[in-house]
Order: sequence, then structure tokens, then C-alpha cells
Amino acid sequence: MRAFQDDLLKFESLNAQVLGVSADDLETHKRFSAELGLQFPLISDSDRKLAGLYGQGRISFLIDKEGVIRLIQPGFPKNEEILAEIQKLEKKP
Amino acid sequence: MNTLILLPVLITLALLPTQAIGLVIGEKAPSFEASSTQGMVRLSDFQGKKHVILAFYIKDFTPG
Repeated sequence: MRAFQDDLLKFESLNAQVLGVSADDLETHKRFSAELGLQFPLISDSDRKLAGLYGQGRISFLIDKEGVIRLIQPGFPKNEEILAEIQKLEKKP
Repeated sequence: MNTLILLPVLITLALLPTQAIGLVIGEKAPSFEASSTQGMVRLSDFQGKKHVILAFYIKDFTPG
């Protein structure tokens, strides 16, 4: 999540919203956010509803403005790849 | 014998940690509503406005 915070301005300049998701409760999320200085929301998926809809474990999804999945990235997030894909989307008319 | 029967199960379990559940690129993302550190978040809130990076991770206070 620290890497997303480091590149947050790049994501924001491309009209992209970062949302972190784990099963931790909101209190833990708030402490974690404060410690890392995270300025984007962390979703508490304590009932694992989102994980059930999207996938188990460490995985990132890029969803475009129309709600269509544009990138599925298992494992540690690779910001450069995500940013490049958003750039492509932003160039489309 | 037991090991042979268990093998497919073990392989499946090993693959689970990074497996998307039948979602593919080009498909509509499942809609959701969830509580976050900045209040309720709905995927529909961003439609027509922003791209969304939905990043699932394992646990707070761990790397990544």
C-alpha cells in the first residue's frame, strides 16, 4: 500500500482512484493508514464479500470509468504497468 | 495412494492465493458497496468519473 501512496499523485492526475482492500477491521485499517500516511481509502472486507466477488489473496484490478475491467494483476501491484494502462484509457476519445 | 488422491487438491490450494474468480478483462466489474476508512464506498460512485484500482492485499502491517 505504501507504493500506491508514493505514486498517488500520478494516479490522481490520470483520474484514477486507488482503493485498498483487506479483511482487516476499520480500526486496524485506520492505524495502518495513519502509520503509512495513506490518503486513499482502505476497505474493510471483514465478511470477505468483495474477495468472494473478485478473487482471493493478493490481486489488483483496474476498472475503467464505464465499470469495465481493464487489467487483472495477480501478486504484488506493479504501478508502472497500471499507470501505462490508465494512460492508454485516458487517451481514448 | 493417499498422496495421489490429494495431489489435485494440493495443487488447487497452491494456486488459490492469486486466483481471480472467473473475472476476465473486458467484462463488467461486479458492483460493490463497502465501508472504508473514508466512509462508504460504492463502485457506482466512480462510474463516468474515475478509473478505479481495486487492490486486494493480505493484511495490514505487512509489506505490499
